Amino acid sequence: MALEDSVTDEPILEVGQFYELLTAQLESAFGRRRPRWVRGEVAKVYEKTHLYIDLVDAGSTSSDAKRPVLNAHCWASQWNPLKRKLADDGVTLKPGVIVNCFGYVDLYAPQGRIGFTVTAIDVEGLLGDVARRRQELIARLKHEGLLETNKNRPLSPVPLRVGLVASPGTEGYSDFTGQLLKSGYGFEILLAKTAVQGEAAPAQIANAIEQLDELDLDVICLVRGGGSKGDLASFDDERVARAIASARTPVFTGIGHTGDESIADLVAHTRAITPTKLGEEIVTLVATWAQRNVRVPAQRILSATGAILDEATVYVGERRRTMIFAVRDRLRLEERHLVATRERLTLQGAHILEASTQMLVSARQLLSAYDPTRRLAQGWSIVTNANGRVVKALADVHEGDHVLVRVSDGTFDSQVLEMDKGTK
Amino acid sequence: MTIGDWNEAATELNEIVASFDEGEVSVDDLFVRLERATQIIESLEARLDATKAKVEELAPRIARVAERE
Repeated sequence: MALEDSVTDEPILEVGQFYELLTAQLESAFGRRRPRWVRGEVAKVYEKTHLYIDLVDAGSTSSDAKRPVLNAHCWASQWNPLKRKLADDGVTLKPGVIVNCFGYVDLYAPQGRIGFTVTAIDVEGLLGDVARRRQELIARLKHEGLLETNKNRPLSPVPLRVGLVASPGTEGYSDFTGQLLKSGYGFEILLAKTAVQGEAAPAQIANAIEQLDELDLDVICLVRGGGSKGDLASFDDERVARAIASARTPVFTGIGHTGDESIADLVAHTRAITPTKLGEEIVTLVATWAQRNVRVPAQRILSATGAILDEATVYVGERRRTMIFAVRDRLRLEERHLVATRERLTLQGAHILEASTQMLVSARQLLSAYDPTRRLAQGWSIVTNANGRVVKALADVHEGDHVLVRVSDGTFDSQVLEMDKGTK
Repeated sequence: MTIGDWNEAATELNEIVASFDEGEVSVDDLFVRLERATQIIESLEARLDATKAKVEELAPRIARVAERE
């Protein structure tokens, strides 16, 4: 450019004077009294008492060296209440977030830099953005089938080996572990310490789930007590959701208060409304198993043992009595048999004796009928020959033989004079 | 003569009792069978007493499990 082109009536300004003039111009157009809304995507964010945030046009890439950057800042007096509200609503200003900032331009002469002092942030807009991104994440997870993946993991009927993702010392941790410890069951709790809120929490939680998943546990419990939406924002994080979905171990969640439902809850195998309820549910699972597999069998064993012993006692007692009675009856039977036999023998002896006597009398009577004395007395005689033999026929004698005739009162000799066969 | 396990002993005892019931026992056998039956009954009672003692020891432990809330 030629020097003559630079001719002007304006006086030459010192640098300071130039900035004063520039500041005055900016103040009049975009200054404290003429604040403006500016929409930008957070490119960098840094907090040190005050908030420092670099905004760029949404969708621009960092490789574009010429993309406009607005160095905004929010002084602590305004940032602190804003920060609390954002935290309560679960909004984190981080790279990628599109935000509407209300403020004014300022010029920092010592560094020759134009900045933007933020006095307000469109929280409602941010919330809408957060909600939209949350729904998009849910839709994505659903489309990939990840909402059901962990729900289909088989659950141990007695989940005693519990992996716990929590922050020790927090109420959520105490509420959950308190339920398990007071149950009296032998829970084995493997703790993976993590932050449960803040920037670092999602990565730590996801990492903890992955590590516990390698340990062959029965269940992994993700626990966080109540808090603001911001406190619970980590459980809407995609990394956490994907870690849960990918886990081979069933993941149970007990996050926040009643009514809070995080994406972690949606992806989890089982969701309890609070850490305390989650502890109760785990204990109930074990108690139900123990009732069915330990207590009821124990009751049956007790009952059956009593019945068996009672039955055995009755059996032995009954057998003892039976034996006593059986032997006694048997002995009585034998005694009766002996008595009867003795009586029968006695009776039979008498009969035999009487019969014998009768027989003797009859014999005696029979014999008496054959008594020769009685025959001789009746007139019969007995003749004997010379040889002393009884003469029974003519052949026993000869004519002229002498025979002896015996009569009832003596004998006399006789001679055979004539023999005549047949009766004369 | 040894005595078998509970079921074997009970079977033998039942057979002895049945032989008495059926009048099969002669007076000569009476003492022998009675003596055997007495041995079996005493053995069963001893086993029963021993089992009861063990049960009394174990039952409270099982009861604690059974009655646990």
